[in-house]
Amino acid sequence: MLKEYRSLLPYLRKYRWHYAAGITADILVDGGNILMPQFIKHAIDLVATGEPDFKALLATLLWMVALATAIAAGRFLWRYFIHGSSRRIETEMRDKLFSKLMDFSGDYFRKNKTGDLMARATNDMGAIRQATGMGFITFIDGVFMSTGILIVMVASAPQTALLTAIPLPLVTVLIIMFGSLVGPRFKLVQEIYSRLSEIAQETMAGIRVVKAFVREERFASLFAKTNDQYRDASMSLVRVFGFFFPFIAFLSGLTTVILLFAGGGAVIENRMTPGEIVAMLAYLEMLIWPMMGAGFTVNTLQRGAASLQRVNEVLQAEPGIVSIPGASREAPRGDLEFRGLTFSYEGAASPALHDISLVLPRGLTLGILGRVGSGKSTLLRLMPRLLEPERGMILVGGLDVRDRDLHALRAAFGYVPQDSFLFSATVAENVRFARPDLDQQRFERIVAISTIDRDVAGFPALWETKVGEKGLTLSGGQKQRVAISRALAVDPEILVLDDALSAVDAETEDRILSALLEDRRGRTNVIVSHRVSTLRNADLIVVLEEGTIVQRGSHAELLAEPEGFYAEIARLQELESLLGHPSSTKGGEGSV
Amino acid sequence: MSDFFESDAITKGYDAGISRRIFNYIRPYKALVAATALALLVGTAGELVLPIVVRSIVDRALMPSWRTVGTAAEPAPEAKDLHLAGDEPRVGGSFVIPTARIAALTARDRAALEARGLIDALDWYYCDLSTLGEPGRAVVAQRSALFLLEGRHAIILSRDLKTLTPAEARSLRSSDLALVSSLSFLLLAVLLVVLCCAFVQTFASSLIGQRIMKDLRMEIFRHASTRSLAFLSRQPVGRLVTRMTSDVETINQFFTDVIVAFLKDAALMVGVLIVLLSMDVRLALVALATLPPVLIVTLISRGKARDAFRRQRQWVSKVNSYIAERLSGISVVQLFIREEASRREFEAHDRELLGASLGEMYVFATFRPLVDLFANISVAVVLWYGASLLSLQILSLGTLIAFVNLIRMFYAPVMDISEKYTLLQSAMAGGERVFALLDETERVPDSPKVAMPSSIRGHIEFDRVSFAYKEGEWILRDLSFSVEPGEMVAIVGPTGAGKTTIANLITRLWDIQRGSIRIDGYDLRQLPLDGLRKAVQPVLQDVFLFSGSIEENIRLGDEVTVDRMRAASAAVHADEFIDRMPGGFAEVLSEGAANISQGQRQLLSFARVLAHEPSIIILDEATSSIDTETEQLVQRGLEALLAGRTSVVIAHRLSTIRHANRILVLAEGAVAESGTHEELLQLRGLYWNLYRLQYGGDVGLREAGS
Repeated sequence: MLKEYRSLLPYLRKYRWHYAAGITADILVDGGNILMPQFIKHAIDLVATGEPDFKALLATLLWMVALATAIAAGRFLWRYFIHGSSRRIETEMRDKLFSKLMDFSGDYFRKNKTGDLMARATNDMGAIRQATGMGFITFIDGVFMSTGILIVMVASAPQTALLTAIPLPLVTVLIIMFGSLVGPRFKLVQEIYSRLSEIAQETMAGIRVVKAFVREERFASLFAKTNDQYRDASMSLVRVFGFFFPFIAFLSGLTTVILLFAGGGAVIENRMTPGEIVAMLAYLEMLIWPMMGAGFTVNTLQRGAASLQRVNEVLQAEPGIVSIPGASREAPRGDLEFRGLTFSYEGAASPALHDISLVLPRGLTLGILGRVGSGKSTLLRLMPRLLEPERGMILVGGLDVRDRDLHALRAAFGYVPQDSFLFSATVAENVRFARPDLDQQRFERIVAISTIDRDVAGFPALWETKVGEKGLTLSGGQKQRVAISRALAVDPEILVLDDALSAVDAETEDRILSALLEDRRGRTNVIVSHRVSTLRNADLIVVLEEGTIVQRGSHAELLAEPEGFYAEIARLQELESLLGHPSSTKGGEGSV
Repeated sequence: MSDFFESDAITKGYDAGISRRIFNYIRPYKALVAATALALLVGTAGELVLPIVVRSIVDRALMPSWRTVGTAAEPAPEAKDLHLAGDEPRVGGSFVIPTARIAALTARDRAALEARGLIDALDWYYCDLSTLGEPGRAVVAQRSALFLLEGRHAIILSRDLKTLTPAEARSLRSSDLALVSSLSFLLLAVLLVVLCCAFVQTFASSLIGQRIMKDLRMEIFRHASTRSLAFLSRQPVGRLVTRMTSDVETINQFFTDVIVAFLKDAALMVGVLIVLLSMDVRLALVALATLPPVLIVTLISRGKARDAFRRQRQWVSKVNSYIAERLSGISVVQLFIREEASRREFEAHDRELLGASLGEMYVFATFRPLVDLFANISVAVVLWYGASLLSLQILSLGTLIAFVNLIRMFYAPVMDISEKYTLLQSAMAGGERVFALLDETERVPDSPKVAMPSSIRGHIEFDRVSFAYKEGEWILRDLSFSVEPGEMVAIVGPTGAGKTTIANLITRLWDIQRGSIRIDGYDLRQLPLDGLRKAVQPVLQDVFLFSGSIEENIRLGDEVTVDRMRAASAAVHADEFIDRMPGGFAEVLSEGAANISQGQRQLLSFARVLAHEPSIIILDEATSSIDTETEQLVQRGLEALLAGRTSVVIAHRLSTIRHANRILVLAEGAVAESGTHEELLQLRGLYWNLYRLQYGGDVGLREAGS
């Protein structure tokens, strides 16, 4: 546990003055709290004489109010310093975590689910905050309050104090026990809760089957049964909660009983004053909190250590793909070449790409055709080093991409990914994603090329329309065209379109392609498509099958191979357009 | 992960309509509510009794005091409030009465009596020698100089009492010591009652909360599962699940944390007020003098806490969705070298979140110490004013001590009132979402005009059917065709022609806008929905398997016997692979049923349908290409499934089409060609073209020509 907390040292050092001030304020508050019953005691003893010295009483009471004000101020201050620091530490750690995540390669995200990484950035950060804030303060409180109060009590009436304090250590023991009793019960409740969501999730996802077989009632009864289990598990947790906290209150009350029984005798026997009894009553009430706090501190610190470990795991992981020392920062220009390129995904039985060799002179357009899973996207992702080849290499301008600075390399690419991922920002912000300072003239040009400008003209807030928010979600074709404009904004040396026009109708596609190729004249394009109408514009077309190139040539050359896959697809697509239902238009009915 | 993108409102102000609807769910649990209320009242009363018992111990056992009243006062009119009966202990020409009785005098009467020397301000301790034990009498005898004696009565000045040695005091005050023990036991008993009540109250109120959650969840579940597919297909599954799970949980919190706590706090505060006022009205009013500023501070902080809470929650969800989004789009970020820009943007968001969190913290960091300060000021004021009352003998020390304790008790609930308020807001927002779903009335109307015929022959007729998923976008246009009982009709056509739609319509997953669909002459809308769906079974393209065993997935409950399940599995040849599984029919399918192949999934769904013995089968063949071996496996199963039943097959495989009695070629929502395979080939139209392209070549997209 200590090992994990060592990683907090730089943060604690940074906020050491805050912590020092917070601890000082807290200790002063504790001291004030211990002092307060003394004033009350003094006041009551003054009153109990029957003929109080009003001047002395007034002085005492004024001191009491002054002390109360100081306590209030101190309470604010320790919260300000300690909670403030813990939240700042949380923020800084989350910044660091996020920053680290930005550098990981795709590999890392395949191994670590986004949901899990999210949990580290949220829940775990919360637990760390608890440990560096509340856990910290309860620890300090526990130490100072309990020792302070015990000293004062023992000093004023040793016998009574010691008798009275008997049930108190039991509170700490109970709280720690409570943790171990609650732990497994809480876990069970959580498990049943997630089973409950699973059943709901599954029933709603499979609602067509449920309805088709008229099984609504069966699933409802399954859901009802799990609900009952949830209730039982929760109630077993409630039994612990419902007993523990009242029981702690009972123990606290028990100390009062002991005090009155033993202390009452002492007063009768003139060994104690009534004021002392009242003061001790107040002290006992105060002691309960640190005694409970001691137990909670143990739990909080344990949870914090577990969370720190999970966060540190991310912070200490290797980022995967990085620039090598002395990499060329020069902007890549020139021919694109694949040389004996082989790549396998981890755990896959056969390589995704096998021995791909190909030269594309600068300024030409490469078209790639292939079935799902033939390795097209993998090939594209290797170029800007989103993946690293297993064997062979990719060269741009005669230099291995791995010998180039990663940022310099990627800056040469304009990439339109298959899923045309957009961020939830405005349409304009998405187009300007890589070039926030893009001049208006160029902006208008690139949105005209993708023809997204025509669509945007009809949007409620025009370019300021939010993407992906409720109300207006862009259609697949619109998303693809925004993504194309986004890639064109960087005016890249190499433009990569990964099936980027699949959701656009044939007529629009034609228009986009001709404008795009016009704009791109003299620079390199790589276009993956399953549509022959897209590919026929390419200077060189390759057909991929199971990770190898099975056909290569121009559109005309490939059509001249009637047995080939390319010609086959061309014929089929011709027929579909004949029927007036190109397979590219939105899938409509099938998706329901 | 969808949760992180959820942008539902997090909080909502108090809404009487919503809380009334929430309260309706308590109704069935009157007994539990009564138990909760009783436990709450008794428990609160017990908590209030505690300081009263403490007061009794102080006043009656620790600090009992008596005053002397000259016997001459008995007939005096000023002394009438003392209600002297004449039988009071009489010592040295004075009656001895408990000090508390002096408090009954008005200030004027008291001054008059003091002026006549009949009363003074000296506290005495009284003991009755006849009831005092032997050691006590010995003390009186030994220290006779301190006592005034007359007959069996003895009094000693309180300040002299304090000079006695512990042993002497113990002997003299044995009755006080006995009272201390008996009152201590009473205190212990009250503590035990409070303990039991607290347990019962927590248990009963949690049970109510749990039962209400179940009721609500079941209602939402039943409600959602009976909505039409048109409605359900518009709802992300995650959203429906959230309604049933976490939104219901916020409503439960409303019960267990807000309502119960509120009642408890209110009962306690009212109880404290009553006790304070009954103990001493003047002092109570003084003690409450700090209440107005506390109320003002509470109101201000409630408003601030609400804003701060809302702002904090907003930024939490913004930061979370920012992380989730950047992680999902990490490759886009890296491709466009926006890592640094994203970091900066994230840090800006995170700073905003920090600011919001700190803002929330400041509210609580100010509010609680302030309330505590007011409580302390209250105590000081009470002590000051109490001291003057006490010096006038109109207040006992025990009462003053009780006040000090009660004031703290009074202010404690105020401390976390703001937290309760934020919980209330979440519950209101959750309730609003839940009730919005429950108010959704969209469902396929089920108002049968005729009883379900005992057996369906299987005649299907589409009569000028038009249908659109979205208004104006017609998928089917004036479609008419019929299928004879026992006939197998294949529907072919390009994507988007409306083939899958036909399957959805026959089972009334959707209702048509124009025309009529009839089975055995009955319009679908006249038949009971469940009867229809049992008679007509779709075999869906995307096989949905539930997590659970193979057996559970075929039987879907107990309606299908184990024998029928086995027979159906054998008929479609699914038993061959099921028997090879380590668990056989009991084999549990993992998430997404990854442990069986695509073809095996198909066979399971065939077995499922066959086991349910429908009259009509609607089959939507999978479009995805499958290997030859699977193809053969599925084909054998299919033949068994369709034998002797009316079936409509949305066909993608040549073998299926060839087996069909009739083929309908669909284009743009209407039947373009119809006939047997041979007839259609002779037409040399659409079908011929499709057939030639898909199945004619050697390298066909689907290697189905085997």
